[in-house]
Formats: sequence, C-alpha cells, structure tokens
Amino acid sequence: MKNKKNLNYSKEHKKYLKQIKVDKFTTLVAQILLLVVFIGLWELLTSVGAIDAFFLSSPSRMINKLIDLFKDGSLFYHIGITLYETLIGFLIATVLGTLIAIILWWSRKLRKILEPYIVILNALPKIALGPVIIIWVGAGTGAIITMCVLICVVITTLSMLSAFLECDEDKISLMRSMGANKFQILTKLVIPNALTEFVSVLKINVGMSWVGTIMGEYLVSKAGLGYLIVYGGQVFQLDLVMASTLILCILACVMYLFVGILEKKVRKHKE
Amino acid sequence: MEDYLQLKDISLSYQTKEGEVLALKNVNFSVKKNEFVSIVGPSGCGKTTILSLISGLIKPTTGEVLLDGEHISKDMSIGYMFQRDNLFPWRTIYKNVTIGLELKHKKKDKESIQHVDDLLKKYGLYEFKNHYPSQLSGGMRQRAALIRTLCLKPKILLLDEPFSALDYQTKLSVCDDVHSIIKREHQTAILVTHDISEAISVSDRIIVLSKRPATVKCVQKIELDENISPLKRRESPLFPKYFDLIYRELSNEK
Repeated sequence: MKNKKNLNYSKEHKKYLKQIKVDKFTTLVAQILLLVVFIGLWELLTSVGAIDAFFLSSPSRMINKLIDLFKDGSLFYHIGITLYETLIGFLIATVLGTLIAIILWWSRKLRKILEPYIVILNALPKIALGPVIIIWVGAGTGAIITMCVLICVVITTLSMLSAFLECDEDKISLMRSMGANKFQILTKLVIPNALTEFVSVLKINVGMSWVGTIMGEYLVSKAGLGYLIVYGGQVFQLDLVMASTLILCILACVMYLFVGILEKKVRKHKE
Repeated sequence: MEDYLQLKDISLSYQTKEGEVLALKNVNFSVKKNEFVSIVGPSGCGKTTILSLISGLIKPTTGEVLLDGEHISKDMSIGYMFQRDNLFPWRTIYKNVTIGLELKHKKKDKESIQHVDDLLKKYGLYEFKNHYPSQLSGGMRQRAALIRTLCLKPKILLLDEPFSALDYQTKLSVCDDVHSIIKREHQTAILVTHDISEAISVSDRIIVLSKRPATVKCVQKIELDENISPLKRRESPLFPKYFDLIYRELSNEK
C-alpha cells in the first residue's frame, strides 16, 4: 500500500521525504561517532600515558574489571541486589504515592489541611533523614528501600494529585448528570484520565528510584552497585567505580525503555 | 397540552466572600412535552445555572422544579449535552455511548443494548462503534454525545451551547443533525445559547432572560414550519422579524 502510494508522490514530496531520512541518519551517525570518539580518546590518552589511568581508569581496564567480576560470580550478585532494592522501592513508592493522591483527591478538607506539610516534605532533602532511617529501620536492605521510597513518594503524590485535580469540570458534571457517584467518577473518569500523567510519573520515578537506592547503599550496605562504587572509591580502585557506574547507566536505560514502551501504548488514543 | 416541566418562582442566591449574590429571581416558565425551547439572555445572566437546576445538580434557594408532575431528583434520567462533546478519548465510541448504562449497572440488560444498537444504526455510527473519538469528525462526535444521552431514555434533554465550539459551517450542519434526531426521538429539549439565529432556527418558543438577577423577560413563540430543517427555517421571511424582536429585547438589557 505504501509503495503504491509512493508512485503518486510529486518530485518535491519525494525530495522532502528523502530530506527527513537523511536528517535522521546523520543525527544517528553523529551520536554514534561521539561515543566512539569519546571512548577512543579516553583509551588512547590513557594508554600513551597522557592522562593517568589510576585516576581516570580506561575503557579496557573497565572491561577487564567487569570480566573479573563476572568470573568470580559477584557481578550478577551485586546487580541483583541493587535491582531488587530499586524495583521494590519503585513499586512501593508508585503505589503508595498514587493511593495517597487518591485519598487527597477524595477529601478536599484533608487536602487543605495537609498542603503545607506536603510542601515541606517535598522541599526537604530526603538524604538528611538517612541517620534517622537507619536507627528506625535498621542498617540493611530495609533502610535502602525506605530511602528509595521516601525520595519517590512525595513527587508521585504531588504529580498524581495535580493530574487528578486537572480533570475537566464538564466531564465531571456529565458523569453526575448520568447519576454517577463519587467512586464511579474516580474509577471511570478521573483515574483513566490521569493515565498519561501516570506514565510520566513512572518515568520520573525510574530516575529517582535509582538515586534513592544508590544513596541508600552509600549510607548502609554490604553489597550492591552503590556499595561497589563507595568501596572502589575508598580503596582507590577507579576501575571498579567506573565499571559499576557503567552498569548503572545500562540498567537505568533498560528500565526507562520499558516505561517508554508502556507510554506508547497509553498515548495511542490520547488526543 | 399540559405543562411537562415547570419552574415555579425559582430564586437562587449563592455566597461569595464579598457577600451574597442573587443569580436568579422569581423565574417562572414551563415547557410542554416534545417542545423545543431555547433560553437566551445577556452573557453571565445564569442561563447555565437554570440547566443545572433542572438537572438537579444544584438546588434552588426558593421555588420548585417539577418534571412530569414530580419534584426533580438526582435519580431522574436527564440528558445533558455540553459545549464540547466530552467523549472520553480512551474509550471506543460504543463504550462512550454506553457509559450511562454502565453507571446504572444495566450494561447487560438486553433491552437497553438493543436500544443502543438501534440508535447507533439509525444515526450512522454503528460501523464506527469500535473507533476512538479522535478518529471521528467534530459533527460525528457531537452526534455520539447525543446518542450517549439518548441511551438512558431521558425525560428531558438539556443542551448547553452544544454547537458553539464548532466552526460555522459544521455548526449549521450539526445543528440540523441534532435537531432532526431530537424530533425523531420525540424528545423534549431546552437549549441554552447566545446565538439568536440558532435559537430561532430550532425552537418552538424562546425565553428571553434579563441580566442578573435573571428573571424571565419575555417569551416569544416562534411560528415557523416545524417540519423543515433549521437551515431551511432560516430562509423564512419571518426569520428576520423574529431576529429583530429578540435582538431588541436583549439590547434593552445591556
């Protein structure tokens, strides 16, 4: 069908389509080139000794480090732990934040009462609560997940609440004129209406939950990528620090991609 | 014929920080069954408020609203159409149209389903029932919005400037469309509009409201052929005379 149509296109239109393709292609080439040049320069400068690989590590040393970690089985052990903490924190924060937002949407009075406290909680750098969390939850995985949840939950609540409140008054009146009760308005209108915003919140939370977990691991941990980074820093093993950071980048990217796929599905029927 | 809808001595005031605002004052009018009545008035005079009162969404301070001899209540089936179609973009046309049944837990009721299918077929939306609103034209969407309210077999239809968000050309054709569906389904309808020509072209009677606190200033009977479309009615020699009459009533208000 597409090819058939193509025959009828005017010369100008074909030129225009080609221009778009060329544009896309050159951008991609530039992006790849940038990465290759960056890695290449890094490797070159460290191997000729222009910069000290002890301070900056080097791509080849990072890969060797990763192979070592893989061989003694600790690579997937540390990845597993961090991934577990991040995913649990991400899930708890998203569900909890959305639930709190629903409650606040439901009760205008409660919303008014709690507003200043939420603003303060949002402004507070959550890392400051680190010592308190350790004392309350104990120095372990629990504390790391708590840190992760704390960092994500307030922003989730605020974003979801504003998405719920943005729901069109006319649509609410329409539902009421058809005899809908408040629960039906919530489940059939307000929540589905906020679905796109929900996906944006997921996107933000992907980033935030990694921040939370790594911060938690900096504070207390005996394993995980955050632990490897801190440990690597303390013993001046920059290869370990850089290699762990690289793994983090890849993991966060993959998680982001998953949310991206979800977003495409949701956006399909949004105007 | 008997009065089907009656507004008796309706007054409405609401509170603001600056004080009490009297929005409606002694509003009296009635609508007969199957009648098409328009309400026109200066902007901000409370036309929409009257529709909210009739739909039972708000209560009058004094006075009463009777529909078919009963006091208005939330359980009565009343159709409401807004400026925008307010179709939910995440639902298909069919799911949009049946949302009222869903709310009343009648989605599996055979008679209701049949009624929905009949309406969709009759008004040319059946083949689009699995489409999403964004795939339909403005006119078709407004028609879907009308069918959504008709599915609940409303006792009365309230139209709150349902054409004002459309461009002029579409507006005229959608107006014809909606008018003919309302007539074919033998619905009683009240249209709120600021467009005098539109009001004359569709109505049997026009109620002119005064500025705030609004009260009924005059009621103008429109004696144009009922059996032709609103667009055709615009061509009648009487049309400009009615326009003039109502225009003058409204200008006196400003």
